[in-house]
Amino acid sequence: MLHIESVVGDRADPALHRRLHHLEHRHAVDEIVIPRADMDRRRLRVTTPKGEDVAIALPRDQKLFDGAVLYIDDERAIVVRAEVERWLRLQPSSIAEGIELGYHAGNLHWRVRFEGESLLIALEGPAEAYYARLDNLFAGRRIRSTLLTGSAAA
Amino acid sequence: MTQSRHDWPSLVASRSDAPAPPRASAARIGVGGPVGSGKTALIEALIPALHRRGVDLAVVTNDLVTKEDAERLRRSGLIAPERVLAVEAGACPHTVIREDPTLNMAAGDDLEAAFPGLELVIFESGGDNLASTFSLDLVDWWIFVIDVAGGDDIPRKKGPGVLKSDLLVVNKTDLAPHVGVDLPRMLAEADAVRGGRPVVATNARSGAGVEDVADAIAHAVLFRE
Ligand SMILES: Nc1nc2c(ncn2[C@@H]2O[C@H](COP(=O)(O)OP(=O)(O)OP(=O)(O)O)[C@@H](O)[C@H]2O)c(=O)[nH]1
Ligand SMILES: [Mg+2]
Repeated sequence: MLHIESVVGDRADPALHRRLHHLEHRHAVDEIVIPRADMDRRRLRVTTPKGEDVAIALPRDQKLFDGAVLYIDDERAIVVRAEVERWLRLQPSSIAEGIELGYHAGNLHWRVRFEGESLLIALEGPAEAYYARLDNLFAGRRIRSTLLTGSAAA
Repeated sequence: MTQSRHDWPSLVASRSDAPAPPRASAARIGVGGPVGSGKTALIEALIPALHRRGVDLAVVTNDLVTKEDAERLRRSGLIAPERVLAVEAGACPHTVIREDPTLNMAAGDDLEAAFPGLELVIFESGGDNLASTFSLDLVDWWIFVIDVAGGDDIPRKKGPGVLKSDLLVVNKTDLAPHVGVDLPRMLAEADAVRGGRPVVATNARSGAGVEDVADAIAHAVLFRE
């Protein structure tokens, strides 16, 4: 088991980037894809694609991020890739519907972002579950919606 | 203000005398679930199970406006009384474990400062409803405790606590025959809604299933093999 007690740095940092680039040529960079919901954990245990058991325990004031380099030496590196986040964009057709939607989204503790006249909801499960919930709340009335992935919504 | 709500002033005072050593902090786990499902009883059963595994631990309890659960744990003789802190939520219990967990975070920091070898802090949430979840700013991993007597339809109701917790504990298995609950079916339904995340059946009174819960904690956040 490999114990990680802090993040080495950001893969975008020029010095790290150069070293990672060399290692990539030798297929020696192990990239762990971490689900969105796990990115907020300070402690977690993951198995890398190359099969290494990694025990992460960060100090309370640190957090994982996309591109966090967890380990690097001359032989290999381990880097975090945050799973792409999916958002549901909901476009209320009236102020009344907007108010109602905001009320329900708050009640359900959905993680949201605001964008102009639409409400973006972070999907932490299958989109169907969210549609089903909305159908219930709005008694079958449809709210215009689009599914977005992280980069599109960012 | 944050600290005046703790009821163990000596710990707060000792904070500045004992700077935290430069290492990753103790693991933090949450225990949530409906009122009376057996959260404190589970913690009472877990303490000796974790002690047998050599785990250095402390507990933070959350009650609405009293320190009932903290007092109960301190009197239990299972753990040194100064290793139990109480946070009073003063409002809906979920506010202090999710929306604004700073009171609990400060209690965890105080315990870590007071007990340098500390490996694990267990946070018991005040009894709440099926929607309560923990902030991952507060805990690394959390358990949701429901009980058989609450009805075998609880898993089907798919509350966020049931769905999102890292471990679902179905407690009071001994009561199943008395309340007309088909336990195997309840467990199968819990498995089905959780998509592969673990479910453990316990009887916190007799200790059945508690070793499995201790093993899950040791594996997930204490990194024992
Ligand atoms: N029969 C039986 N009773 C249990 C079990 N676990 C807990 N109890 C009882 O259930 C009652 C509530 O248990 P607690 O541990 O106080 O529950 P809790 O979830 O901490 O309650 P709150 O903190 O008030 O929400 C107590 O009377 C316990 O003795 C169990 O496995 N079987
Ligand atoms: Mg309790």
